[in-house]
Amino acid sequence: MRLSLSARLALIFSLITVLSLSLAGVVLFNALTHQLLGQGDLNLELKVRHLRQLAEELDSAAAIRDHQVRFVALALGDPDLALRIETAGGTVLIDHDPSHIGMIALAATPVAGRAATGPVQQWTTGGTIPVHGVASMATLRDGSGLKISAARSMSDEAQLLNNYRDIIFATVASTTLIAVVLCYLFVRHALVPLRTIAASAQSITAERLDSRIDVSGAPLELHDLVQSLNAMLRRLQHGFDRLWQFTVDLAHDLRTPIGNMRVASEVALTRTRSATDYRALLASNIEECDRVGRMIESVLFLARAESPQFALRRAEFDAGEELQRIAEYFEGISAESGVHVRVSGRAQIYADRELFRRAVSNLLANALRHTPRDATVLMAASESAQGASISVQNPGEGIAAADLGKVFDRFYRGDEARSNSDASNGLGLAIVKTIVEIHGGTALARSDVGTTAFELRFPAFRDGVAAGSS
Amino acid sequence: MRLLVIEDERKTAEYLQRGLEESGYTVDVANNGVDGLHLAVENDYELIVLDVMLPRLDGWGVVKQLRNTKETPVLFLTARDDVEDRVKGLELGGDDYLLKPFAFVELLARVRTLLRRGPVRDVEHLSLGDLEIDVIRRRVRRAGQRIELTPREFALLYLLATRRGEVLSRTQIASYVWDMNFDSDTNVVEVAIRRLRAKIDDAHALKLIHTVRGMGYVFDINEPN
Repeated sequence: MRLSLSARLALIFSLITVLSLSLAGVVLFNALTHQLLGQGDLNLELKVRHLRQLAEELDSAAAIRDHQVRFVALALGDPDLALRIETAGGTVLIDHDPSHIGMIALAATPVAGRAATGPVQQWTTGGTIPVHGVASMATLRDGSGLKISAARSMSDEAQLLNNYRDIIFATVASTTLIAVVLCYLFVRHALVPLRTIAASAQSITAERLDSRIDVSGAPLELHDLVQSLNAMLRRLQHGFDRLWQFTVDLAHDLRTPIGNMRVASEVALTRTRSATDYRALLASNIEECDRVGRMIESVLFLARAESPQFALRRAEFDAGEELQRIAEYFEGISAESGVHVRVSGRAQIYADRELFRRAVSNLLANALRHTPRDATVLMAASESAQGASISVQNPGEGIAAADLGKVFDRFYRGDEARSNSDASNGLGLAIVKTIVEIHGGTALARSDVGTTAFELRFPAFRDGVAAGSS
Repeated sequence: MRLLVIEDERKTAEYLQRGLEESGYTVDVANNGVDGLHLAVENDYELIVLDVMLPRLDGWGVVKQLRNTKETPVLFLTARDDVEDRVKGLELGGDDYLLKPFAFVELLARVRTLLRRGPVRDVEHLSLGDLEIDVIRRRVRRAGQRIELTPREFALLYLLATRRGEVLSRTQIASYVWDMNFDSDTNVVEVAIRRLRAKIDDAHALKLIHTVRGMGYVFDINEPN
């Protein structure tokens, strides 16, 4: 099962919360423990020093016993404190232990300086309660040695620390819970724009491609996403519009030949005609059928060429030779219209020869259609590191700059007056562009005053493999 | 010569039968794959014209089963112009492939090619009326007068002359003479024929190159009726 983004973020945040709070708890607990026990030990040491001071004012061990009350008074009000004063020989003079901590024999440093006490020693009493003890040596006025020990059970501190630990646990647990819930809610809230985007995306259909996702309501992080989606929609809409326009144009263009056939046949049938008339009608119908057939073939070619399965039968050949051959194919037409065709240059290209011929033939046919008598069409092939370039240039009226971008569009006809002529079905240049593009190249059109040039650029290839093309 | 047409479209089957019969063949028609296969196996046909899209058993199925017993040449007709389809048809044992819609003269030419037994004999000399063609030296004379032709004009005349009496479509001519195997919107072939006529026919009362309007061109002494 995949967790939702909200749940996942909440989980991650709660993990972070638990970890950081636990760490803080441990650090605080240790600090407090250290502080408390340190304070207790210091008190213990002060007590021992105080006792030593009192003892050193006295003359003998016997005097200690006499002043027992003064010594024990120091421990009054603190039932957890145990005191023991003994002679160097081990005779216990005072043993005060109201809580029965159980004093042990503590190590005491010999008197070296005023502050010298032995190390703090630890043991336990009653099984678990920790006891800290400190001892010190003292010298009485009569020169005899004395050992003063003080011990204190840490039951209060232990209690305090236990309580403190419980509070830390409770705090960590409850804060984590609150963090998870709040985090989940916040994340859910933060993701609301995503759901809004999804909802607006859902409302977009093929019929409503003009709608866009509102970018103003989206947070900064989602702007790119929304803008990309909108750009995709724009491209889709453009594609749909083109397809729609294409369908309309196609239907329109099919209407003409079919209408011709229908009307011509109807007129012929209204009365009896001679065999010659019928023949003429049938022949005319065949011509119209050929026109429809060619149009269907062109449209199917364009559709097929755009499918990813379209297989190019590539071979390496000299484009210059092919230009020569195509010019020869058109020599009758160019001679009849009084146009010269000059071919120059060479270029090795790696392409589908049949499609290459088709593309260049369409360009040359187009050029011949628009070239005035006695002018010259230039066909040239050239080669560079970037690849091969084929150009067909003709003098003539040229193409308006505004129309230049549209010449490769399907059913675009520069000359409206001849839009229904047999000479062109308006797909020739679209086919040229498609052929070049499936070879990974580009088709360009340029037009200055009096000259129009089309250029086909094919990418460079190495050892029979086109560089950077499909 | 007996042919079998397997085609489910009634109108198509009808005009194929009529057209082929008028071209001198005996034609049987089947309207579905199963009947077609039965006829094809039971009888000895010189050629089968087979539609790919058929009810009950499609054209590929027919060829596949037919090839178990017979090697009758098969000409596929199809409305689908996928390269894979074409390859599949030929791999299964089809001999040729024609895309719908087709020109009838194109079909006729394919049928003739498939029926032509053995290699075509290379001729050295062709003549029709007072026109003489020396194929080896590529020289043409009419009424004894030498006529200068460009290489393409010669190729066009040679094609017409070797197919005397046969209507050749523009597409066929473009393919044979210039190796341009696509339909273009241009009138290249018309112009080429016109220019060839200017050299061959214009100065003579007897015309040899005739236009069959809507279909193509034919080379013969008599105009086709």
